[in-house]
Amino acid sequence: MSVYIGPAIEAAGLNKTFGDVKAVDDLTFSVERGTITGFLGPNGAGKTTTLRMLLGLVAPDGGSATIGGRRYVDLPEPGKVVGAALEATGFHPARSGLSHLRVYCTVSGYPLARADEVLDDVGLGPAKRRAVGGYSLGMRQRLALAAALLGDPEVLILDEPANGLDPEGIVWMRRFLRRYADSGRTVLVSSHVLTEMQQLVDQVVILRRGRLVRQGSLAELSSGPPWALVKTPEVERLLAALGEGVADLRVERLAPDALRIELAAAHIGRVAVDARVELHELTPGRDDLEQAFFELTTEHESEREPA
Amino acid sequence: MTSLIAGEFRKLFTTRLWLWLLVGAMGLTALYTSLLIGFSEDPDTMTAPLHSPEGQRTLFAVASGGANTLVAVLAAIGITGEFRHKTATATFLATPRRGQVVAAKLATYALVGAAYGVACLFVVTAIAMPWLATKGIEVGLLDNGLPGTYAGVIADVAIFGLLGVGLGALLRNQVATVVGLLVYRFVAEPILTGIPALDSWTTYLPGSASAALTQVSLTTQEYLRAWEGGLVLAGYGLLFAGAGALFSMRRDIT
Repeated sequence: MSVYIGPAIEAAGLNKTFGDVKAVDDLTFSVERGTITGFLGPNGAGKTTTLRMLLGLVAPDGGSATIGGRRYVDLPEPGKVVGAALEATGFHPARSGLSHLRVYCTVSGYPLARADEVLDDVGLGPAKRRAVGGYSLGMRQRLALAAALLGDPEVLILDEPANGLDPEGIVWMRRFLRRYADSGRTVLVSSHVLTEMQQLVDQVVILRRGRLVRQGSLAELSSGPPWALVKTPEVERLLAALGEGVADLRVERLAPDALRIELAAAHIGRVAVDARVELHELTPGRDDLEQAFFELTTEHESEREPA
Repeated sequence: MTSLIAGEFRKLFTTRLWLWLLVGAMGLTALYTSLLIGFSEDPDTMTAPLHSPEGQRTLFAVASGGANTLVAVLAAIGITGEFRHKTATATFLATPRRGQVVAAKLATYALVGAAYGVACLFVVTAIAMPWLATKGIEVGLLDNGLPGTYAGVIADVAIFGLLGVGLGALLRNQVATVVGLLVYRFVAEPILTGIPALDSWTTYLPGSASAALTQVSLTTQEYLRAWEGGLVLAGYGLLFAGAGALFSMRRDIT
């Protein structure tokens, strides 16, 4: 058996057109093993089409998509290499969650008990004998994830797994994926909501109108200077302490006791402790990331097709 | 391939449709059997007398009429349901070579069809033996070429399983496939075969090929020989399945 040492997932020059719509346009990116990569972009950016091309469900018009160096269709035991949860709707409503998974255990040659194991892993154990027709959207998301886990794969590909999950479910999903990646495995997870992802992913691949607009680490995405929100009853003392050794400190006064300061939150906190300044709030700025995402993925006037 | 077929059986037996359609097929067989025996002494009957070998073969052949359309429907739902309920995604993720999925479904529904055929033959036997005894007709279950009709019925219903998978693979739309099958079998085909001027080519329609395979004898109709009927019928099934696997099943799963 040869050992493949390249990226876990590779897309090269992928193209796909549906009718007149160019869904994916010369898309090239790779996902390194052991990372959680966020596959981000607004609805209709081509994320789902790309994931389906990676998995052999949609035939590309051009380019190649490989997982572990091979096309999906060429993997001898695909379920052991990559598990995919693409939609929370692909179930027969009259079949129970357990029966659904046992079908695929049988087809792929896994022991039937594997279905019970993954259902317990995703917290569906108590509901596994009920018909899927009675499952909530969140439960279907968990069942889709359970199906992806059946073969204990090296790579997980998830399409909008947080859709329909309640806040508790989203936290659970994040922890689950983090644990999965911490064991050296690879996760590619799509979302149109950056905030769902920014606490989870290491890398991002950002898509707009079928084209790659950015691939890199999350930190590289936010290129603006750091800032923080501060509340203190001792505004003047804090500013004096911060001002030492800083040429032009950029401060915006939001309220008599509230400031937006263009410095890293950690630095402000350290200075405040040294100067014994009382702080009531210290929040690192985040919207620069969201702003960057918004600017990358928003359609500009000049790009719109003429009506 | 064995595991794929086992998976198809698991899909089939984890919903109830197979049971309802089996009950329907057995009920339809019971109805046809009763009508045929009940009207056997009617002067206008088209069937040969029930004490004759031709009459007895025709009687046992109704098992295929009771089962074959419903098996085709079951098979069609088995494959179009993958698209209707979007389980095609999971199915093709587990088995990326889609032709193998079609092949597994063909094998599965041929076996299911054979089992339905056997069940419906038991229904005919259970109704006909005591009823004909009251008319003074003793039926030897291994006489009069009846084993050939049993084999024909089992083969016929099995081939209708292939037909249903093939048509479903080709059309992919569940409602269109099922309605098309029912309308064709219960409306269009009876009308077409009732037109004497068309006899030279209606003998090649699935229903007539099926009658030939199961050795039905009617005073009003000429059929192919049994083996010819079987070949024609299997040809339809494999033609649809081949076309479906080559064209329709290759389409994107979105």
